[in-house]
Amino acid sequence: MIRTDEIVKRYRNGTVALHGITLDLDERVTAVIGMNGAGKTTLIRILSTQLEPTSGKAEINGLDIMKNASQIRKNIVSIPQEASPIGILTPFEHVKLYLVGRGMSMSEAERNANISLDQLELREFKHKPSDTLSGGMKRKVFVAMALSANVDTIFLDEPTTGLDPLSRMEVWSAIRQLEGNVILTTHYMDEAHELSDEVVMIHGGKVLEKGNVKSLLSRFKGLVRVETTVPQEKGLQIGRLYIKYVKEEDAEKYLGEGYNIKRITLDDLFISRGMALES
Amino acid sequence: MNLRFVGLLAWYYGFRTIIRGPSYIIASLSAPLTLLFIIYIISAGTLVKYAIIGGFIGLVASVALSSSGDAAFFRLQLRIQDLFVASSITPVDYILGLTMSYLVFSFPGIILYVALGTYYHLFTLISALALALILITLVMSTSAISFIIASSIGHIRNVWGIAGILSVVMTVLPPTFYPYTYLPQVAIYALAISPATPAAILAQGVFHLAPFHMGMAYFMVAQTVFYYALARYLTRWRQR
Repeated sequence: MIRTDEIVKRYRNGTVALHGITLDLDERVTAVIGMNGAGKTTLIRILSTQLEPTSGKAEINGLDIMKNASQIRKNIVSIPQEASPIGILTPFEHVKLYLVGRGMSMSEAERNANISLDQLELREFKHKPSDTLSGGMKRKVFVAMALSANVDTIFLDEPTTGLDPLSRMEVWSAIRQLEGNVILTTHYMDEAHELSDEVVMIHGGKVLEKGNVKSLLSRFKGLVRVETTVPQEKGLQIGRLYIKYVKEEDAEKYLGEGYNIKRITLDDLFISRGMALES
Repeated sequence: MNLRFVGLLAWYYGFRTIIRGPSYIIASLSAPLTLLFIIYIISAGTLVKYAIIGGFIGLVASVALSSSGDAAFFRLQLRIQDLFVASSITPVDYILGLTMSYLVFSFPGIILYVALGTYYHLFTLISALALALILITLVMSTSAISFIIASSIGHIRNVWGIAGILSVVMTVLPPTFYPYTYLPQVAIYALAISPATPAAILAQGVFHLAPFHMGMAYFMVAQTVFYYALARYLTRWRQR
């Protein structure tokens, strides 16, 4: 259970990344979504005790992130955005080193490292230097660390950024195997849809939306998205693309050339809320 | 302190680099061996013993100082330090682990210099033990400096440049490869900012190449404690 109360983060250069975030997170997998610069990474770094907030409070399982940081650190794993393994070390060496650092004995760390790497289908690569692995496999090395650490709370900051579709699916499969509460940030809406029980949308350092995917999309019930390059008076404009939402029964009118009709997804929450605020 | 982690990091990052990236060993040896060659030629062999003893110090100090590049790379590019911060790994464990890994990484070079020292009949049991103590202290103080530098580097593009400058200025300028008696007192004070200076002065005394200076032993220990304390004070494990 994570609870935040009016978390504010102001960096030294004056940038305010978080404007008083108040949240309760208690679902098994929570996805924090938002545009680049929305404050997702700052929030994750504060919650995982890597960064001090300017003001406000936060607790993880009843422990204060400022006063009880060392106790919290025993029960969390945080995989930073774009973390990459050390090229000369193997996946097995990474996971073992991390687990020994967390206080496990050598034999326990070796056993857990082997189990997690095998579970994530890295068996045949676990003794190869990490710089020979694909991007997806490198990310899975970090998921293996999280999997083998046996902790209550896992933070994953944009775990699939820059990966090809197949690698992303591999990492998704690995994330599904994690136990405990998982808080992941992403700007891939399909990722949030696939993996999360609850979605928190952040924009400009504030919480815009919170709820499960079904409830968040209920406002679009009976609608479809129409995309076109034909200028529209009503609707949202993204570059040269015009977007509007129409009733399913009216969609037939847009079956002509120059129009695309799309099913409603979390992208639409992102587009409608994000674009409305941007404009 | 988690000594298992310190030992494992030292072994993995020190030893695995030797096995899987041998070019780094040659790179770390190239500067002291080149200086050894030049000093041998210019002094017609008379200063070769200084260059061998200086080689130990230059090698260990330059490897440890170059490590600021690695530490900054881990923090800024690989984000390994962030991973460690959000766990029960402490900054002392991390700094010590990296420090020890550079000591392991220096072993092939040390062996080469031991061979050269043996050939020139430099060693006695006492002097060898004293040199080992000097080198261990040196690697600790230079690693602390490295960690301070690594923590203050804001962008990855500056990492290797700063590490390179630091390595040359702090190991070649001090009386590492020449008798410290050549220097005026004021220059020794100025160069004492580099741990290689007291290390070289002590080592030259231990091997009877120059007058022994016991005060430098106390200075070196105090300097190591100071740089470690400074590293703990200036570098923030959890960022603000």
